[in-house]
Amino acid sequence: MTRTINPFDVATWWRPFRSDTRRFQEVFPHHAEHASLLRSSETLAYLIRSFTVYEMTCAALGHPGGSLSESDFLAVLFNHILRFDAKHPQWPQRDAFYLSKCHACPALYAALALFGYFPLRDLERYGAWDSHLESHPDSTRTPGIEISGGSLGQIPGVAVGRALGIRRLGPDHADRMVYVLLGDGECNEGSVWEAFMAAGHYRLDNLVFIIDYNKVMAKGFVHADMSLEPLADKLAAFNLEPRVLRNGHDVAELVDLGNHLAVQRHGRPAAVVLDTIKGKQVACCQYNPNWHTSAPRDAATAQAWLRELWERDGRRLGIPEEFAAALGQAIRIVPPQHANPDRITEKQA
Amino acid sequence: MAQFTIPPREATQEMRYQMGYALADLAFEFPQIVALDGDLRTSSGLHIFEHFHPDKLLKAGIAEQNMISMAAGLSQEGFIPFPCTFDAFCRRFMDQLYVSVAYSHANVKVLGAYPGLYTGKAGATHQSDKELGLLLRIPNLRVIEPGCHLEMRQALRVAVETPGPFYFRIVRCEVAENELAAGYQFRLGRGVTVLDNGCDVGLVSTSLMVKTAKLAAAKLERKGIRVRLDHHPSLKPFDRDLLYDLAARTPAIVTLENHCTSGGLFSLVAEALAAKGAPVRVGAIGTDPDDFIHTGHVNDLMARYRMTSDDVVRKVEEMLAKP
Repeated sequence: MTRTINPFDVATWWRPFRSDTRRFQEVFPHHAEHASLLRSSETLAYLIRSFTVYEMTCAALGHPGGSLSESDFLAVLFNHILRFDAKHPQWPQRDAFYLSKCHACPALYAALALFGYFPLRDLERYGAWDSHLESHPDSTRTPGIEISGGSLGQIPGVAVGRALGIRRLGPDHADRMVYVLLGDGECNEGSVWEAFMAAGHYRLDNLVFIIDYNKVMAKGFVHADMSLEPLADKLAAFNLEPRVLRNGHDVAELVDLGNHLAVQRHGRPAAVVLDTIKGKQVACCQYNPNWHTSAPRDAATAQAWLRELWERDGRRLGIPEEFAAALGQAIRIVPPQHANPDRITEKQA
Repeated sequence: MAQFTIPPREATQEMRYQMGYALADLAFEFPQIVALDGDLRTSSGLHIFEHFHPDKLLKAGIAEQNMISMAAGLSQEGFIPFPCTFDAFCRRFMDQLYVSVAYSHANVKVLGAYPGLYTGKAGATHQSDKELGLLLRIPNLRVIEPGCHLEMRQALRVAVETPGPFYFRIVRCEVAENELAAGYQFRLGRGVTVLDNGCDVGLVSTSLMVKTAKLAAAKLERKGIRVRLDHHPSLKPFDRDLLYDLAARTPAIVTLENHCTSGGLFSLVAEALAAKGAPVRVGAIGTDPDDFIHTGHVNDLMARYRMTSDDVVRKVEEMLAKP
């Protein structure tokens, strides 16, 4: 017998790990709450992926590859690492998180909604006219977005300025951190390396660059189109402190990373290379440039993806099977608000 | 090493140096002010700011894109950053200005040094006479081109007191302390009538070209042609009301700008008058949008592009002679 379930009422099986997201506390493997942190973060990653599929399908818009590859990192970041207050997004003592690969914002929107920056229901109108959820984020409209973006390679420099500014504010702000998540293809932009150079020069150890090294660009593969290797060596040569996570989807590794970033600062900015898989957890997307830009074409495809996500993660995490089905049923492809008398058609990306 | 000295405040009439003093003064009053330098400080005048506030001049290196991004980040912690490089190099950071600054409504005040033809013979790569074409079409951005020291100081203060992005064109050459009326006060989005002896012809100036316009007006008066001169330091937002008032009273308008005659002041005026359907002829003084401005003494450039007061007189006479 199937239960009726409201897929937007996630509080019944998931809530943020921390009761107070303004605080950071290390949770090490020998701590009693470590297991529940891992489980909460894995569940969160599953929810981020599911709502990402949901909103992209509603919008007929999105970038599944990069959204799915960053989901585990975003989950641990918001669940464990970042200090913020969703009810007061401008809380002056917050850590700053910048998503530099702005096209991968569907996953960020899902994370922000799950933490209460805005209602989960808003996700349906991602990319719709009059919605505050733009195709690429607009900081003047969306709570929790630190700066507008969409043109690659700019935000690492913004993060450098932010970290410099925080340092100039003195000891009361000394423990605030700036995290910026870059794409690997984005690192082709020269301005990224300008930012790395400046960050190393100013010894900004309140700044962490995280590179989502998912190996796939918009239209091809990083190693084939414009390779980055030896990436960690390059980062070290720019006076950054490189850290490589062999499995950027392993929540335990990410938690361990988070435990160290804010408290082990060595006078150099950290640069974390997350070894990830583009399109992680949806088989047809994985390592596939064709799903860099694209959304499921119809609800049935999205429902299959949601089912696949549940099979891979939801089932083992104890998420009711009905959740994936109900979220799939809730998909409504949002139509334009106006007819076009000239019948100019544009195909979905 | 003469170029590394601090020119005494009273002894220099170059706007770039007076800007350095003005920004330093403001930074004593507004401690949030910081400046960012793209390795041009003794050229741009920021070395004077650095002299008074050595800890507030942040060096970005020769990396203009990153300098603008850093400014956006600094503004997010309550600082009021003034990134400064040659105006020509705004071509390098236009996207950062568009996205990270303007779209985000970041409180960044960009200083474009060496605008127009006054670059000390720096040649085609450094002369910036095309850039307003994009700068004036960036939403949220205010674009100011002051014509004298008084106006520059007042406009800088307005920028500090007004949240949101600004772009200044700060000319390299010497200008007067005040080209405008005694007691003049710069207002954002407002032009000012500098002189009005009748409206046989209207002159509309921006930047230091207000001086050329005043000289031309005096020469025209001697020929019996009465002139009204309007000066527009605020290019964006642009004072259309003052322009429409002028257009209602005169049969011909000539615009004067330290920029090419496409995308800048002439385009603003022509668009506004076309939108209004105003029956007035409009001529333009400025450089040629199809030319790279080759190296040469600024006198030769002014002669080549017919930008002196004599050229303005000739242009006005031609226009008034037409049926």
